[in-house]
Amino acid sequence: MRSVIHILVVAATFVREMVAGSARNVATAFVQIWANKGRSILTTLGIIIAVTSTITVVSLVQGFGDHMTKTFRGYGTQYMVVRPYDPSGNHRHGVGRVTLDMGDLEAIRAECPHIHRSTPFVYARDGTITYGLETAEEVPVRGVSEQYQTIRNFFVDTGRFFGPIDIDSAANVIVLGRTVLKKLECDDSIVGQYVEMYGERFLVIGILESKGSNMGDDQDNTVMIPYSTATNMFPSQRRYFQFLVEATSEEDIAAADWEMTRVLRTRHRLEPGQPNDFRISRQDQTLREFDRFRNIASGVLGGIVSISLLVGGIGIMNIMLVSVTERTREIGLRKSIGGRRRDIMLQFLTEAVVLCTLGGAVGVSLAYVLTYIASLHPNMVPISVPYWTVILALGCAAGTGVVFGIIPAFKAAILHPIEALRHE
Amino acid sequence: MSDNGKTSAKLIELTNLEKIYRVGTELIRALRGVSLTIAENEYVAIMGPSGSGKSTLMNIIGCLDIPTSGTYSLRGQDVSKLSQSRLARIRGRQIGFVFQTFELLPRTTALKNVQLPLMYAQTSNKRKRAMHALELVGLTDRAAHRPNQLSGGQKQRVAIARALAQEPDIILADEPTGNLDSKTGEEIMNIFDWLNDKGQTIIVVTHEKEIAARCKRVIRLLDGRIASDELNERGLRTSAERPTSMARAVS
Repeated sequence: MRSVIHILVVAATFVREMVAGSARNVATAFVQIWANKGRSILTTLGIIIAVTSTITVVSLVQGFGDHMTKTFRGYGTQYMVVRPYDPSGNHRHGVGRVTLDMGDLEAIRAECPHIHRSTPFVYARDGTITYGLETAEEVPVRGVSEQYQTIRNFFVDTGRFFGPIDIDSAANVIVLGRTVLKKLECDDSIVGQYVEMYGERFLVIGILESKGSNMGDDQDNTVMIPYSTATNMFPSQRRYFQFLVEATSEEDIAAADWEMTRVLRTRHRLEPGQPNDFRISRQDQTLREFDRFRNIASGVLGGIVSISLLVGGIGIMNIMLVSVTERTREIGLRKSIGGRRRDIMLQFLTEAVVLCTLGGAVGVSLAYVLTYIASLHPNMVPISVPYWTVILALGCAAGTGVVFGIIPAFKAAILHPIEALRHE
Repeated sequence: MSDNGKTSAKLIELTNLEKIYRVGTELIRALRGVSLTIAENEYVAIMGPSGSGKSTLMNIIGCLDIPTSGTYSLRGQDVSKLSQSRLARIRGRQIGFVFQTFELLPRTTALKNVQLPLMYAQTSNKRKRAMHALELVGLTDRAAHRPNQLSGGQKQRVAIARALAQEPDIILADEPTGNLDSKTGEEIMNIFDWLNDKGQTIIVVTHEKEIAARCKRVIRLLDGRIASDELNERGLRTSAERPTSMARAVS
């Protein structure tokens, strides 16, 4: 018990002295660093580069990540995509078995209480659209039903979307994306006119609202036609028949997934133990996957940073060792006028920490400049430097100072005062 | 020990000090049984050729080193077996060093240099005490100057002020005039004379006869032993002719 109290008293004294001495030590450190400006800058370059590159890259990753997440959410988070899938891994060539069909979709609609919207989805061949003298080439054509727009939050803002009658009759009607409209050098007055695609005439009935682009992928460069029209024109595309379904709520996604799996397995007569011949991708899982990827990226970055901090720290240690040798007489003097080992130790440790923290601060400033420059690019997603990276970077820099300052500081502390004073 | 008046008068008491260094495989006996008593307000010169052990003796008196055997009692406290940390504390509070090469911190003002021992001792009123010490050596107007803006004599005076700042028991000067011309050296010795008149105990290690002649007691070392220890009558006599104020001491 008494020894515990003794240790506590010693610790308290040490902390008190540290606080009292640290202001003086920091001042001394600044004088030293200023006296060796060039050397200090070169020494901390490693730390500066480590901090700058980390914060910049993390800011970019975060910026892109936030943007992606927001975009995903903008699509709706309750929907799932059901795709045909060959469990053996072979890609089917030529006309193979159609693994998903309208019968499957109708069964899902009838038997899955947690699904309240659904649409078939088929990518037709990329189309070339002609209107008068203008053409828009290689436009992705989506064959969908009217429910598509609600599921994907992608609505028409001029004219109308196609309805059940257009789908039942496999009518040649088309809804254009804004980019396509621009390519055709045309405005909203195109609604009611005819365009030509796949050698057939399509009546333009609506214009889709603008969705912008996601990671360089222009969401507005698309046109939509009834899925029945698409499968009639390109029967082989039936092989890629997909469903987009929407669960009743975000919480019901898992239940809906389970219900669909059961319905499809029964319909496809899969024995227990046989793998699914379809795949259900869930938006919430995609988001989770994406978050996982983001974390892995952050981890890899962290590794790179620790290596660069290591390199920077070795530079600091090197220069601190030089400093201790250069200032041996000063150390002797300080000891002769009452400086104890711990005073000397703390002085040099403080110097290393101040040096590193200054490097960290310069690095942070540079990172702000770099991210600002990056944000000037017109196609850049909004990026900002997250506060936690600044705190973390400064903390790591200071920590590097402690770790790599200890050996030189210890070397200084154990110098014998007489020998130190005799040092030439 | 029983008589407090006497023990306080006995500032330094060395009994049979020995110091043995090991250099490679060779043992060097730097001190071979030195016994010595120095009272308060003494003004002592320690002389001797190089290798006589005078530096070793100074280091032990200054608590920079501990003896191999024998005892050293400083103001009644046995300091011959203390830890490094305790020794540092004693150096900071009871001993004021003055070195041949001044040892001022570069890029640091005279005032800050003088404050340095006060900082290690965590004394209050650092600035006031440091200014007072600078006043004693007549350098109040140079407080904000850095060492590279000061002459050699001024530097040594700042160093003396630094030694005085903690009001130490002993001023320990190692060849204080060794790096100065004779006129400036004279000035420095005038300051020591004046400080001693005011009651300061001073020990000067020197090999210059002229310097030793200013002191009241001269101890000569030879081969690690005290060869002679005598009062210096001239030093005693001239004390009457010494300047009575700092202005005259350094003019």
